[in-house]
Amino acid sequence: MTALTAPRPRPLAITAAGVVSAAGLGLRPLGELLAERLPGHAEPVGADSADYPPRAVRSVPGFKLADHIGRKKIRNLDRLTGFGIVSTRQALAAAGDMPDDGPDDRTGVVLATNTGSIGSIAEVAQDALLQDRPYLVNPSRFPNTVINSAAGQIAIWNRLHGMNATLAAGQLSSLYAFRHALIALGQDRADRLVVGGGEELSAVLAWGWHGTGALPDHAPLGEGCAMFTVEDAERRGGGSALAQVLACETGFYGLRKRLQSRSQGLSNVIGRALERTGVRPDEIDLVAPGATHHVGLERIEERGIRAALGRMPEQLRVADTVGETYSAAGAMQVAGVLAIWDRRPAARPRTALVTAVGHDGNVGALLIREAEVA
Amino acid sequence: MADPGPRRVVITGLGAVSGVGVGADAFAAAIRAGTVGTRPITGFDVSGFPYRMAGEVHDFDPAPILRNLDPADWGRSGLLAASAARLAAQDSGIDAGLLERRRVGAIMGTTSGESTVASRLAEQWVHSELKRLDPRLVGQAPAAQIASAVSNELLLSGDSQTVATACSASNYALGYAYDLVRTGEADLMFAGGADAVNRFTHAGFFALGALAEDVCRPFDADRAGILTGEGGAALLLEPLEHARARGARIYAEVLGYGVNCDARHMVHPDAASIAACMRAAHRSAAIDPADVDYICAHGTGTPTNDATEILAVREVFGEAPPPISSIKSMIGHTMGAASGFGAVICCKAIADGFLPPTANLQRLDPAFAGLDVVPGTGRAARPDIVQNHGFAFGGNNVITVFGRVS
Repeated sequence: MTALTAPRPRPLAITAAGVVSAAGLGLRPLGELLAERLPGHAEPVGADSADYPPRAVRSVPGFKLADHIGRKKIRNLDRLTGFGIVSTRQALAAAGDMPDDGPDDRTGVVLATNTGSIGSIAEVAQDALLQDRPYLVNPSRFPNTVINSAAGQIAIWNRLHGMNATLAAGQLSSLYAFRHALIALGQDRADRLVVGGGEELSAVLAWGWHGTGALPDHAPLGEGCAMFTVEDAERRGGGSALAQVLACETGFYGLRKRLQSRSQGLSNVIGRALERTGVRPDEIDLVAPGATHHVGLERIEERGIRAALGRMPEQLRVADTVGETYSAAGAMQVAGVLAIWDRRPAARPRTALVTAVGHDGNVGALLIREAEVA
Repeated sequence: MADPGPRRVVITGLGAVSGVGVGADAFAAAIRAGTVGTRPITGFDVSGFPYRMAGEVHDFDPAPILRNLDPADWGRSGLLAASAARLAAQDSGIDAGLLERRRVGAIMGTTSGESTVASRLAEQWVHSELKRLDPRLVGQAPAAQIASAVSNELLLSGDSQTVATACSASNYALGYAYDLVRTGEADLMFAGGADAVNRFTHAGFFALGALAEDVCRPFDADRAGILTGEGGAALLLEPLEHARARGARIYAEVLGYGVNCDARHMVHPDAASIAACMRAAHRSAAIDPADVDYICAHGTGTPTNDATEILAVREVFGEAPPPISSIKSMIGHTMGAASGFGAVICCKAIADGFLPPTANLQRLDPAFAGLDVVPGTGRAARPDIVQNHGFAFGGNNVITVFGRVS
């Protein structure tokens, strides 16, 4: 077996975006805050807001699912699922889909989440542990605790019958979702995918992060969901698009390897993405790093980027505005890049590098190029 | 450079950690003999539960199997996955150094992720006033740790991805790994799945009315539901040329797969959608229904699943479908590992020449009259092409197709 000959990957066209974040709904408010380096909503929300540990947060303010999809059949939908349905609807609407369009057999969903809804899990656990009879969990709520619940509901509410994936890869989850979309669409497993990642903040999740020491107290925890409609760019031919994902490369540098090897690993995957696409290091206009504020990892990520590019381009710190969104982080970084490009138009198409480094040893790099100005 | 076209992909290594045996040979021998491994639950306190049976891996000890992981650092699902993958690597006879040097990764499926870790965290949260959570457990909790466990155990540097598409997750993982290898994105891939029996899944299925009291009886007139189960299953996917060049034992070729989503209801399966998934799998594998010699059923043993599955099978195969059986009758519903165990037994069925049985059958449901569910014990046969069903919560259907390499 010869080593991978690295053929050029078939690029993905991002045709539309939907975003629910601490900045608000959509790309525009995100772009406004990023341009001014301002934070999104910086207080906990919800019934458990008094139970949070003393640390920075970015939460989605005033989110009511009924405002978006009506009051029917939503009683049992959790917050993560609500974010997913709304961001997917936004993206599909922006892509030209109508709410009353019929079933779509060739559009699928790829959602990144590591745990599903922790709020739902805590609720069912409460039932199972504190009630007299341990089996008296609410059968209408139990399915919410299964990790693929949000992706299933996104498909139901948008009548998407194509492939349906729920992917977990720690900090890299959303980048892996894009990578999966690249490969699946390249193999013609679907015509179109709605791809992205979601995370739901709660007091229990905040306490979970708080104890690990992975993020300092001033590093905000965040939540939200960013979803993108994507198609194989070549099969799609012309038509308007926001951008193209040119490549998404990943690697694993696990526990038996020295921590420093992750910066080399990140440099390798960036190098592979550049090599496979023919993009030169000096063509990268913007970097959206993923390890913002992460103890130990932030410097490793920076070193990896410098090693691959020979310099550090302008950086876009999306997590300062929307918080650390873990499963959704890569999708939020892509949203941030699209939002800032939209906010500050340029005469020529720009290219950005989105990176991620996980405490588990996963590293990844995604190359994205702005669409030609029509 | 001319496009060489997609590579043919074969299965050259099998690993299983199951309630009826550890290692693919022990697992397959027990299944072939119709051994029922479901027993009273020992993994959590069942007092207060009316139904107390499950397919657990009793006395699971990963330490003698694993070379690189410290079991204390990982959750039960990750340890089941890593153990199965280590066994698959050994079974394949592949050079360990090659796994480390080449672009080799792991795609592992799961339903509930590190559910035993989540259970302990939930107990800390509910019972503690201080809202303190053990950071070691928090680090073990993400579902991603299942693939991470495999990558760390085998020192892999390629894709490390957990697929959490519930009870079809192993099949989804196999399909994705197949695409990674056939396109050359990866040199080799491990794929499979893992889940652990736990209090919340058991309670949830009971609350849904889907749990059986004593045994799981797929296709039986008196079937009452599932038994929860656990385990780890892993398969090594390798390019055919590479396998031949190193003289590897080839169990079967991955011919293709089909994937779709019901997008109608979270827990009720949909026959038309399952039939569409089967047709997609046949198109992907470039076969006709008449080519299929055996179907490894999803076969959960709930009244609804089995009726819906057979309806879909008849829609695609007509009134005389090939033999179809459910290994869940013996190991319970191992959730994210279920279609991984199905894939392992499909490969063994092709390589060793038998059809896996449906155990516990007393009286075939009259609605399934004429159906060959291979009751009791396995039967000698020579299946050339088999299909492996995986259906899930959220309407996630994935069907993989395996064929003999001649």
